[in-house]
Amino acid sequence: MIADLLRALHTGSFWYPLAFFFFAAGVLLPALLVVLSRNLLHCALWLLPCLASVAGLFLLLGAELLAAIQILVYCGGIVVLILFAIMLTRGLGDPDVRAINQQLLWGFAGAAAFAGLVLHMLSRESWPAVAAVNRGDITGRLADALLSPYLLAFELSSVILLVAMVGAVVIARPERE
Amino acid sequence: MTGLPPLPIHGYLTVSALLFAIGLFGVFVKRNAIAVLLGVELMLNAANLNFVAFWRYGGAARMEGQVFAVVVITVAAAEVAIALAIVLNIYRRFKTVNVDQINLMKG
Repeated sequence: MIADLLRALHTGSFWYPLAFFFFAAGVLLPALLVVLSRNLLHCALWLLPCLASVAGLFLLLGAELLAAIQILVYCGGIVVLILFAIMLTRGLGDPDVRAINQQLLWGFAGAAAFAGLVLHMLSRESWPAVAAVNRGDITGRLADALLSPYLLAFELSSVILLVAMVGAVVIARPERE
Repeated sequence: MTGLPPLPIHGYLTVSALLFAIGLFGVFVKRNAIAVLLGVELMLNAANLNFVAFWRYGGAARMEGQVFAVVVITVAAAEVAIALAIVLNIYRRFKTVNVDQINLMKG
């Protein structure tokens, strides 16, 4: 059933743009609320629909495993970790504390200038027409790529995770006299 | 099942650029360290979206784009764990995590 739905999404000319705009709005509107909400807890919670919609865009692009990883790691892990940290640092969701620093104007100008520059470049560039691709077993090919040509990156990321885990425990541990 | 999605790559790149700009704005203007971290997460997701979009529209014959995205997600998870540990430590020492109040090394 889900496979049929995905095939319809990938081949249908009507549903695909509709799903794309749904997920694009689902990324951008919650992202704005992540930045603009006054309550930090709301900011972190708005991250959930944003990241889930990024997973939806991955699905539309045909990266099924990556969409699953995105949901598992980001929505299941990172957001929960951030929520824990917010609740452990008391008084942060306090709406009386100003959430924005004094660089609002410059910050907005910088971000708007960046967006304008990148979008201008995007519209100027004519991206090369690409050949049709053979979809096939993407997940299997990703596993092959991770375990043969990119084995070093794969193993290094496991070392990074181990170091980060030990480091986080050491840093967050209360100091003893 | 062959063929490209019936949509030019510009849609994905535009969403990614706007998401990156929103994250950049958050990093620029937020006072709370955790809120700055949320902006960084948005920017990492924008980069991932670009990787996967170029992987798909670049032919999808090679898997570099997805491998990059997997590594970025892994490093993001490690980064969040370390950053939140540092934030908790700063909170214990300064009783605040507003980045403009932690100016111990300001000359």
